Amino acid sequence: MKNIKLGIIGLGNVGMLHLRHSLKLANAQVVSVADTSVKALEKAKALGIKHSFTDYAEMLRDPQIDAVLISLPTHLHLRSSRLAAEAKKDIFLEKPIAGTVEEAKEVISAAKRNCVKIMLGYPMRFNKNFKKVKDDLENGLFGDVENAHAILVSSGPFFHRAMGYSPVPVPEWWFNTQLTGGGVLMDLGCHMINLFRWFFGEVVDIKSQFGHRFNMDFEDSAMCLARFESGSLAAINVGWFSQTYLLQIDLLGSVRTAYVQHVPPKAMSSVYQMLTKGVTSFNQPHFDELQYFVDCLIRDEVPSPTSIDGLRDLEAISKAYKNQIVL
Amino acid sequence: MSLVSFIKVGKQADCVTKQEISESLKLINYSFNTEVRAVVIKPNLCYYLDRSTGQTTDPKFVAQLIDLLRESISTNVQISIVESDASAMRCKYAFRMLGYEKLAKEKDVRIVNLSEQENENASVSCNGNTYNFKVPKVISNADLRINVSKIKYTVDPIKLTCALKNIYGCNPYPKKFKYHEDLGNVIVALNKAMKFDLFLVDGYSVCGVEPRKLRLAMASTDPVAIDVACARIAWLDPNKIKYFKIAEREGIGKRDFVPKGMPLQYFRSVYPKKTFKIKMKAQAYKIIIQTGLGPRLGLG
Repeated sequence: MKNIKLGIIGLGNVGMLHLRHSLKLANAQVVSVADTSVKALEKAKALGIKHSFTDYAEMLRDPQIDAVLISLPTHLHLRSSRLAAEAKKDIFLEKPIAGTVEEAKEVISAAKRNCVKIMLGYPMRFNKNFKKVKDDLENGLFGDVENAHAILVSSGPFFHRAMGYSPVPVPEWWFNTQLTGGGVLMDLGCHMINLFRWFFGEVVDIKSQFGHRFNMDFEDSAMCLARFESGSLAAINVGWFSQTYLLQIDLLGSVRTAYVQHVPPKAMSSVYQMLTKGVTSFNQPHFDELQYFVDCLIRDEVPSPTSIDGLRDLEAISKAYKNQIVL
Repeated sequence: MSLVSFIKVGKQADCVTKQEISESLKLINYSFNTEVRAVVIKPNLCYYLDRSTGQTTDPKFVAQLIDLLRESISTNVQISIVESDASAMRCKYAFRMLGYEKLAKEKDVRIVNLSEQENENASVSCNGNTYNFKVPKVISNADLRINVSKIKYTVDPIKLTCALKNIYGCNPYPKKFKYHEDLGNVIVALNKAMKFDLFLVDGYSVCGVEPRKLRLAMASTDPVAIDVACARIAWLDPNKIKYFKIAEREGIGKRDFVPKGMPLQYFRSVYPKKTFKIKMKAQAYKIIIQTGLGPRLGLG
């Protein structure tokens, strides 16, 4: 069986997680990594990665790389994915697809022009409980879902970061909406919109109310009310204001109701899971999405969520930013 | 012996009020000098964790203090709220995110990032060592320096963050992490280099193992005494906190104090203390992080 040779672009928190997972993937091998941080490259080297680059454009010239995992800040998604597509590398791109709808369209056309596959990083689609919900919905177990509720709150980018024992500041780009494309709705909202689009079809209409607890230019909480093609009305509630991570969905169907959570395991469970499986239940969907991406490349199948999914999510978010209501 | 006052904040108020601050000062026989022209207030700003976490001084407390200062001294008194950049925290964001930028506009006071100020050199000895610091002129030139701290647990061997530790944030050098090996001595040395006049505690909400509304206001002119009192509230043995002893030896203050107002025991009974299980967990976590096993074990 073919072995997919991967390059990883960006070794921040998510990039490093992808690197650790990629080392355990079946039928894949990480051959190169790229990041502007020499410290991050040293970490990758310690994990056994032989080739490292401070300029990802240089890494893309390596003909042995089949595909790249891009985990860069949002404002760099267009340039990096365009260059990767031009270098004929298949792409796994972290959400959101880009900072604007126009940029997202350029990402899609670059991939199309160069006949490369592109998959968006939405790990919740690989959570086994959410997959079960999707199956149950398709099999009619819920009846008609009249209302749904999604909650995703955390401290967002404002968690206390550290390199080993040494604290490091939040990267400056997180504070610049020109670079992020928005606040929490862009960062976390896209996960929930993507998940509900998977469950209920396209967003027909969406309205939003934003909060600015931290007095910044971007919203740190967002409550959206969205109508989907299926007729379901959903409240999507996301925030960067909580020290506690919570991802939960509630579905209220005409036959059945359900609530599903995706939360980190307790410390002892986490240690046990790492020692026995090498991955925590919290990060399992992140691992599974990468394995699925590799499997699709081997089977020459189009991976999903696609770049069009990324575009539709961004269109819904863009509409939510325009359709603000003030209470 | 130094006086330390304890005031219980009324249930109706959502922060410590001007009257309660005033009452806490009366109990320690403190009155403001009307000759004062420039005041520095040092709140405790903790990363981007707002007042609801119990880790950051509530801007509403500082607002009440500003009103009291203007009433007691003069409406023209110049007030600066100061903080410095830290290894992970940037003042330009912290002032805004934690509500101090808004407070400064509302109350017409200055917010000052000490890491961007003019300094003078200070060389102080502490516990047999010599320490060289930069002292911001905005602090050294002030007529009245007020420290408004929180009560919260911190890393061993310091154990408690309160008045003495809050002065650590007056050191303009941003990469403060370098001092962590010798933290106790550095805190005492900084308190020698930058002497504050009045120490208040915003104990409306505190951070033990979890946040709790303690509804407490404290005041003293002695940072060691107020820290010893806070350690007792937080179920810590002040005799086991080495830097309190060093601070006393270095002449920063006295560990013995005379309590005034509500009994300390009342607040101690409400404080969210560390249990043995939590202490053991913290110890295990520390070992995992120190050995670099965090990411491999799915922690940190």
